Amino acid sequence: MVVIVKSAPDTTDGKRGVKLARDMAADIVLLQNGVYFAQRERLEGFCGTVYALDDDIRLRGLREDEIERDVRRLDYGGFVDLAAGEEKVIGIF
Amino acid sequence: MGKTITLFLSTSPYSYENTLTVARTAESALEKGHSVNLIASGDGVYCFLKGQKAKGILNAQEKFSELIAKGLKVYL
Amino acid sequence: MGRIAMILRRSPYGDINAAEAVRHAMGGAAGELDVDLILVDGGVLLAKKGQDDAGTGFTNLEGALKDCIDMGVVVYADKASVRDLHLEAADIADGIKIASAVQIVELMQEARTTMIF
Repeated sequence: MVVIVKSAPDTTDGKRGVKLARDMAADIVLLQNGVYFAQRERLEGFCGTVYALDDDIRLRGLREDEIERDVRRLDYGGFVDLAAGEEKVIGIF
Repeated sequence: MGKTITLFLSTSPYSYENTLTVARTAESALEKGHSVNLIASGDGVYCFLKGQKAKGILNAQEKFSELIAKGLKVYL
Repeated sequence: MGRIAMILRRSPYGDINAAEAVRHAMGGAAGELDVDLILVDGGVLLAKKGQDDAGTGFTNLEGALKDCIDMGVVVYADKASVRDLHLEAADIADGIKIASAVQIVELMQEARTTMIF
């Protein structure tokens, strides 16, 4: 199961999506302003796998050393493969 | 075997990043052989109006017309 | 001509507000207005160095903001927002002034007109 989050960490939508993923022990895909959740310490204690769209990270000028090491970067093809391979996709928050 | 992927677009074409995210996701899914549905609701229907003049930004009408020609199924 | 304060509250790319703020700031400067562009809340992320638009289909707003500064727009980033959004001084593009809440209030008091994006 995967939850997609496109909203920034300072928004209720973003917080809601991440909370849902935590509560459901789901993985998370970060798009658009959601990629700011990939910054260090923002998702502390999150147990699932965190994926983030590489284009949206680069566009916002986020540097390699700002991003949590275990965040997996995706291109659109990787995003589609991930979504198509999941039993359930929830979002986009 | 390809799957069916359904995307939902509810925002106007030029105010949010959603138009580009949806278009690029749909394009990638079509290239991978998936069947792609796009349901437009609310202001999302404006993405499919004829006569859009947008330049210097993704022209929603042109992009979605191109994707429809590649097999995207759109429901308003 | 009068001084105009344009306040950007939204982070770039997710919606059109940052691009519109920059576009209007350029328009004001081209029209010989004194323009202060004040970045607060998510808007300070517009000031971040290293934005890379290659292959994304977007206009690079870091470059557009630099053009604004070159045209005479004075750009301020709210100090508290910079801190809240995990930015450091080294992350902020050249030519942008870090301003305290008091300084921002003064800028808004001095401005004849305020536009909020």
